[in-house]
Amino acid sequence: MELLGYFEWMEASLLGTIGKTYGGVYAIAQSLHLMSLVVLGGAVVVTDLRLLNVLLKDVSSETVADQAHSWFKVALFSVIATGVFMAAAVALRLYYNQFFWAKMISLFAGVLFVFLIKRPLLNSAPHAQLSPLSVRIVALASLAVWSTVAATGRWIGFS
Amino acid sequence: MNHQLLELAQWIESLPWSTGIHESYYMYNWIESTHVLSLSLFLGMLFFIDFRMLGLVLTTVPATKIAERLHTPMMIGFAVMIVTGLLLYFAVPVRVTQSIWFRIKFLLLVLAGINAWYFNRRMRNSADSWDKQDRAPRPLRVSVTLSLTLWAGVITTGRLIAYDWYDCYRVQSEFIAWAAGCMAD
Repeated sequence: MELLGYFEWMEASLLGTIGKTYGGVYAIAQSLHLMSLVVLGGAVVVTDLRLLNVLLKDVSSETVADQAHSWFKVALFSVIATGVFMAAAVALRLYYNQFFWAKMISLFAGVLFVFLIKRPLLNSAPHAQLSPLSVRIVALASLAVWSTVAATGRWIGFS
Repeated sequence: MNHQLLELAQWIESLPWSTGIHESYYMYNWIESTHVLSLSLFLGMLFFIDFRMLGLVLTTVPATKIAERLHTPMMIGFAVMIVTGLLLYFAVPVRVTQSIWFRIKFLLLVLAGINAWYFNRRMRNSADSWDKQDRAPRPLRVSVTLSLTLWAGVITTGRLIAYDWYDCYRVQSEFIAWAAGCMAD
């Protein structure tokens, strides 16, 4: 109930009004959201395929993971900022959309996973000293969770 | 030209599998989701290569090494993106053929392809002199900036196809009607 009130407030806010009134602005925000997702996806794929020893095998995985993570953070901020703007315009519709909640849960899980599990693990020791199985499981889980975020995001528009 | 394109689109739309994709909730949505995921893979790799050329990421790694190593996953993403993109076109061919956004997107794709060809040729011919530097030489950086701009345009126009502001069923200016290829019924 409280959450519904928050969604009602969001739709009536200035952000919601701008998004609803100016279709062009909303469409540009959608494009920026998609571009941010592309950069985020690139950072995730490059890092995880390196951790799985598929890509850039002759480049230190620490270097790849650290540098890709900088872009991951920029992209994540942009995904969330544009996402909030888009959500404000159709907040009430999203409240009743099961794919929206699936995306929110997977996004939340993805962010927690990166900052509470993946980065602490990768920063805990030189990668060569980490258990190869742990590193592979983390990389596969990361690919799975971020693919889910992207896919569920697309399905919001279908329902 | 517009007449032939429309006839082709109408013929495709008359095929059972065009209607099948269009009317299948799950099939259409899975194709579109796969299109977005493959686009993320393709452009994610491309942006990384471009960012390296601009000196924004992995500057300690030779630029051509990044370009070569990311080429395969990038092309896998590209192939899936093209196949799913064609399937999406086949599902709604008449409307898409007469979409001004689709036409601009197609033009931007062609320009991005020409730019990629130019970039690759120039990179291969000159890499020895700058490969380990933080940034690629200016002409290549210009090409990379153009690449990022063109692909941002492809994403934006692709997204705008969903909007019907300039669809032919609405009253449009002569220029829009011409650019979208609107034909009288």
